[in-house]
Amino acid sequence: MTLSYIIESIISGILLGGIYAILSVGFGLTWGTMKVLNISHSVFAVLGAFVSYWLFVKLKVDPILSLPLIVIILFSSGAIIYKLVIRPVQRAKDVIMASMVATFGVAIVVENVMSYFWRPDPRILKPAYASSSIFLGEISISQGPLIGFIMAICAISLLYWFLNHTYIGKGVQATWQNPIGAALVGINQERVSLITFGLSIASAGAAGVAMALIYAFYPSVQSIWTLFVFLVTIVGGVGSVIGTGLAGLLIGSIIGICAAFLPFVWVNVLLFALLLVILLFKPEGLFGN
Amino acid sequence: MRDKTNGRYMKYGLFLIVMFMLFVFPVLKPPLFFLSLLFTAYMYVALAESWNLMGGYTGYISLGHIAFFSTGAYTTAVFMNRFGVSPFATALLGGFFAAVLAALVGYPVLRLKGAYFTISSLLLAVVMQLIFMNWDFVGSSVGLWYKLLPVSIEINRMIFYEVMLFLATAITLIVRWVEKSKFGAGLIAIREDEDVAKTMGINSPWLKMKAFILGAFFAGVIGGVYGYYIAYVHPEVTFNINTSLLILLMSFFGGCRTWVGPLFGAIVLSLVNQLIVTFIGAEISRILYGMLLVVVIIFMPDGVIHYIRGLFVHRKIRHGDSIL
Amino acid sequence: MLEGIEVSKKFGGLKALTNLNFSVEKGQIVGLIGPNGSGKTTLFNVITGFYPADSGKVLFKGKEITRCKPYEIAKLGIARTFQIVRPLLGLNVLDNVTTAVLYGRDNIGTMAKGRGRALELLEFVGLDKKKNAQAINLVSAERKKLELARALAIRPEFLLLDETFSGLNEAEVQDAIKLIFRIRDELGITIFLIEHVMKAVMETCDRIIVIQYGIKLAEGTPEEVSRNQNVIEAYLGKRRTC
Repeated sequence: MTLSYIIESIISGILLGGIYAILSVGFGLTWGTMKVLNISHSVFAVLGAFVSYWLFVKLKVDPILSLPLIVIILFSSGAIIYKLVIRPVQRAKDVIMASMVATFGVAIVVENVMSYFWRPDPRILKPAYASSSIFLGEISISQGPLIGFIMAICAISLLYWFLNHTYIGKGVQATWQNPIGAALVGINQERVSLITFGLSIASAGAAGVAMALIYAFYPSVQSIWTLFVFLVTIVGGVGSVIGTGLAGLLIGSIIGICAAFLPFVWVNVLLFALLLVILLFKPEGLFGN
Repeated sequence: MRDKTNGRYMKYGLFLIVMFMLFVFPVLKPPLFFLSLLFTAYMYVALAESWNLMGGYTGYISLGHIAFFSTGAYTTAVFMNRFGVSPFATALLGGFFAAVLAALVGYPVLRLKGAYFTISSLLLAVVMQLIFMNWDFVGSSVGLWYKLLPVSIEINRMIFYEVMLFLATAITLIVRWVEKSKFGAGLIAIREDEDVAKTMGINSPWLKMKAFILGAFFAGVIGGVYGYYIAYVHPEVTFNINTSLLILLMSFFGGCRTWVGPLFGAIVLSLVNQLIVTFIGAEISRILYGMLLVVVIIFMPDGVIHYIRGLFVHRKIRHGDSIL
Repeated sequence: MLEGIEVSKKFGGLKALTNLNFSVEKGQIVGLIGPNGSGKTTLFNVITGFYPADSGKVLFKGKEITRCKPYEIAKLGIARTFQIVRPLLGLNVLDNVTTAVLYGRDNIGTMAKGRGRALELLEFVGLDKKKNAQAINLVSAERKKLELARALAIRPEFLLLDETFSGLNEAEVQDAIKLIFRIRDELGITIFLIEHVMKAVMETCDRIIVIQYGIKLAEGTPEEVSRNQNVIEAYLGKRRTC
């Protein structure tokens, strides 16, 4: 085991962590602001990966070029799910629990629709550049994760910019901080909810494309991705965009370091056990307010 | 008064007649398919009822029930496989190990509320599945086989049918008894408002622990018998998250405020589920039950029985009534 | 009967209670008044074990209860109501009270006995006609009665009432005052109450404790307190100007 192997392993862990961060940021956003715990978040990431895959395989559209289209398609799916499921559930006594159980249903439906039409086989998104590597001295970095990571960073920055520097984004924040005040100044809460939820699903779609550049994906992989989303969101503190980003990088580094010494399954056992411990002793997260 | 007593005798009479008919059903030599259909229905009745102790009465929605179920299945599998002891003898031991596991994880996990409890319970199942996948003593990703009973397949199915019918009946009756007892009243108070429950003198951590352990014990016993029934345990079979969701859906569908709800939900949905899986396809079945879960949560969070009754008496269902 | 020695409680940097001393003698009705946010409900939560005190002691019948859990305190005989009433909405009126009877200090084992006792209590507060109503369908005054019946159901020796009179109309306040006296005289329960309705406080209380910003401002009989200059400035004075 050489030093360069360990460094490579850590770098690829960090790249992966960035992607986990974008996969989780929207989930934390709806949970923290709208009190909607959306279990179907990752299934839409898988859907994003599938759309990107089909565009690439059938129409030879590069995943990077098709990304804006994915974002639009997924935003619309999010808006539909919002109208059909989330809006009615928001009237429940305990919105978090009710949304959690209802979106479990959504996740099952979408997963099995995908699996019915596209078969449950594993697939991988492999444009030519994704399989080559760049070299820094002895250290090689695969381009697939690197591109995924860059996409993730762009998406998180974009989301952060949108929430803090645009009129609609500020409206979103204002509504969740003070719903009555926001209603008084004429912000339409339903529209704001729809935009928040749509953005969350759109970010999941983008993350799904980034994931597909690294890992094989198949419909039922969503449940494993969901676990990573829990992990990153809870470690980062629910609802904090920056916290989620940091948690993604931290968990990525842990994965990188552990993967150099341990078989991969034990890395997962370790991570989920870590999540259990955090849930029990510091449920507000490591980077939460 | 006399009418009331008569009504009660009628009820007991009807109950005994139905139970008798179910017990003698295998003697009529029905096709094996019916026996396995009913075996699975009984199993889900038992699982949903045992889940409902925490999920319905106490309002702590667990997705970790399969962890206890699997503990039971693995206990009987290991005892049969390594020491040659019959699973029927060790099923109770499976329940015991599941109860011990529940006591160990319950102490920290039951302090969490709402979604945090649910996620932790899910993680328990996931972590255990990953561990069992890589633990050679319990067969890792190969799984463990049971030696079959030295009887014909018909007799074999008949035995399992009767055992599971007995378990489902016993568990349902116990859960019904809990619901109508002081213990159940305490659990329900915790669901309605845990702080208020404490001001009533309810030792809520201890009560939750008792319900959690009792539910886990039942799940362990059921798991022990189920493993023997399918003659094989594997982490991906016993720790299937869809089983947890199906149990949850059955209870919510029937209505988790009473013992009748999970009974009704489990019978109806497990039969529908198995028929669709057998004749149409597993994916279609899952798509349907996913949709049903959404519909139930939105339109009838107190369950279909309550909803239909509400339609007849024109009672407005208010949100304070529902569990969610 | 109930005694607090130098009780303090902070939330972050905010001092909710600072070195508060108080005592309530057996058989008294003692009022706790003060402007909004002065720490009254916090004190109740400390007494009943919902918040741990940062320092100081709470004694009940000479025994320290500072570190006891809420349900242990209930078992010792201290009952409470909540400022915003919290009936168990999914249950009917009778079952609300029955559960408290079962787990209270009588430690009754069977539902039937519990229901019998609960019905007596509902008669006592005048809610027996509504015993089969769902708690969610009660109006405000009925919810307050239910809250009282439920508190009485654990057979307490000491009762903490958090703004029982607020939101009641004139006639209902009169009824409630009568009920408070009956609770003390017929059931022999000592009462410590938080109140904003001055009329009710003046009529019912033997003694009044006034707190502001978590510090005790004054203490004495209703007449003494209402003449106290600090209290008039801090509390009653403000009311008059409104």
